[in-house]
Amino acid sequence: MSGNSIRRLIGRREVSLALACLGAAGIFRGFSPYFLTAANLTTILQNSVELLLISLGISFILATAGIDIAVGGVLGISAIFIGWSVEAGWPLSTIVLLGPVAGTCLGMVSGFMIVVGKVPPIIATLGLFGVYRAAIFLLLGGSWISGLPNTLAPLVNSAIFGVPVVAVYVLAFYLVGWLILRWFPLGTAVLAVGGNERAAQLAGVAVGRSKFFVYGMTGFLVGFAALLYVARYRNVETSTGENVALDAIVAAVLGGSSVLGGQANLIGTMLGVVLVRLLQNGFVLAGVPSLWEQVITGSLLLLVLILDAAVKRSARLKPV
Amino acid sequence: MTLMMAPPKKMRLAGLVALWIFALAFFAVRSPGFVSLANFSSILQFSTLLALVTFGQTLVILGGGGGVDLSVGGIVSLSGLSIAFGVKEGLDPYIASLSGIAFGGLLGLVNGLLVTKFRLLPLIATLGTFYAYNGLSVALTDGAPIAGLPTFFGTLGQGSVAGIPLHTVFIVLPAFLILEFVLWQTPVGRWIYGIGGNERACRLVGLPVDLIRLGIYVHSGVMAALAGLVADSWLLSARPNIGENLELLSLTAALLGGTSIFGGTGGLAGSLVAVLFFTSFQAGLQMLNVNAIWQLGLVGFFLIFSVLIDRFIRGGEST
Repeated sequence: MSGNSIRRLIGRREVSLALACLGAAGIFRGFSPYFLTAANLTTILQNSVELLLISLGISFILATAGIDIAVGGVLGISAIFIGWSVEAGWPLSTIVLLGPVAGTCLGMVSGFMIVVGKVPPIIATLGLFGVYRAAIFLLLGGSWISGLPNTLAPLVNSAIFGVPVVAVYVLAFYLVGWLILRWFPLGTAVLAVGGNERAAQLAGVAVGRSKFFVYGMTGFLVGFAALLYVARYRNVETSTGENVALDAIVAAVLGGSSVLGGQANLIGTMLGVVLVRLLQNGFVLAGVPSLWEQVITGSLLLLVLILDAAVKRSARLKPV
Repeated sequence: MTLMMAPPKKMRLAGLVALWIFALAFFAVRSPGFVSLANFSSILQFSTLLALVTFGQTLVILGGGGGVDLSVGGIVSLSGLSIAFGVKEGLDPYIASLSGIAFGGLLGLVNGLLVTKFRLLPLIATLGTFYAYNGLSVALTDGAPIAGLPTFFGTLGQGSVAGIPLHTVFIVLPAFLILEFVLWQTPVGRWIYGIGGNERACRLVGLPVDLIRLGIYVHSGVMAALAGLVADSWLLSARPNIGENLELLSLTAALLGGTSIFGGTGGLAGSLVAVLFFTSFQAGLQMLNVNAIWQLGLVGFFLIFSVLIDRFIRGGEST
């Protein structure tokens, strides 16, 4: 009885992920005593902020059985617009609107292709990825935007009742996301579309509108992440956002989202992001050159998927 | 609908050829040097890499089940590096090349096993290997090319007969002819179309669906490795990023060539014309001094455009 309930507890995604985080932290502690210091843990969390926002959107997209690999491009383009407006000396209040609006517009482009054009999400976003990459190069004209004034600093440096404001953003967005999934018809529609699109359509769910919503919402979150990115680094390069799509998909899949759609686990996604960033940080501290980051993240994605598939098959459920 | 008197497939190929000729005419008018033997051979020279990778990609898509191989570029880079490494270590060039090609097949086998054995969606499985393979080729070399291959190694990549590059004659054309023969005249080819068209029916009549798919992914890896070999020989060095963007390009060429993203319909002839169209386009833009990055954007646009066209041609047929 008790053994059974313990197994069920460990089987829960949040618990197994938290254990994985602790285990990884223990291993990295062995390689570098610096790893478990407050300073380094803060760095890991700070590095997670943008990815947390983007992965929230990706979780919604995966829930509709979609995928978006153009998010890096959206991040880059939004960041360029934000960078330019900072350079031009626009007031903070306007710039704060600009980032999310730019992101939302670009997200809606994906949504439009997928819903109205009925282009499969992988094709639409892969195509847009190419278009956006080219656009980033052309907009930047081969040079970086760098040495920006710290107009945006209050966005990331301030605190509300002692809580860093970035943590407030993340928690607020996740809370809204959770509320939508749990309590709003829209959330049910999103999950229904991913579970069985045809059945959802026949049951009268607004399939197109739900899909449009998830891509628009992801665009909004990516635009907001771009704002925080520019505020923190104060520069925009052609490589901005290059690996973000992979990291976000890995984090969401780690968190228990299935690429086949129909499920979302937001707490899992949060822990997934922390695990991804923790591993990336730990490997660097353990002396692995950062060039290996892609290899490690890509292999991690495959490993999780294979383990998931094995677990589900042993439970005689539908394969991944 | 009355407009579609000819079968859609023929219409589509004719349309693509027309598009290609239009592009050729456009560049011929805009830049006088475009119509020349030298430019003709440089178009063929550039087309080999994309053509080989696209052949592999086309079969993967034809085989259905959401088939797509995003890792082709990584395989081109990795197997190219392995060949150059072997040659530099003093291995016989033929043995180094053959083992490099086998290595490409092995990388394809990994994709195939992930898809058939572990039942992962091809797009997510090959997205994982895309990052793993591309990352490996950069990480193993620190991003620096393996340069200084002996000049005799360049025969395949640099030699030509009457302006036609050797690799076009000895690799691309034979590969195309053999694959066309296999696709249209042998059971294996018919099976590939079959499992792409109706997987369930094929399983019910007892076809080894998983084995065929596994073979398709291995084949894609081998074709990518051949591309890596040609690149090595052409440049006399192996670059860790030589395969960059080839997944986007090959996917676009295959889809623009009329292969349906859902599998089962399409073929290599369209893919080949699409590849020639792309490379002519690339050469033309280069002559007009247009920034190469435009090409990436245009390809992305073509990718989406070709699926939209596909939908338009197939009309009301739903997925």
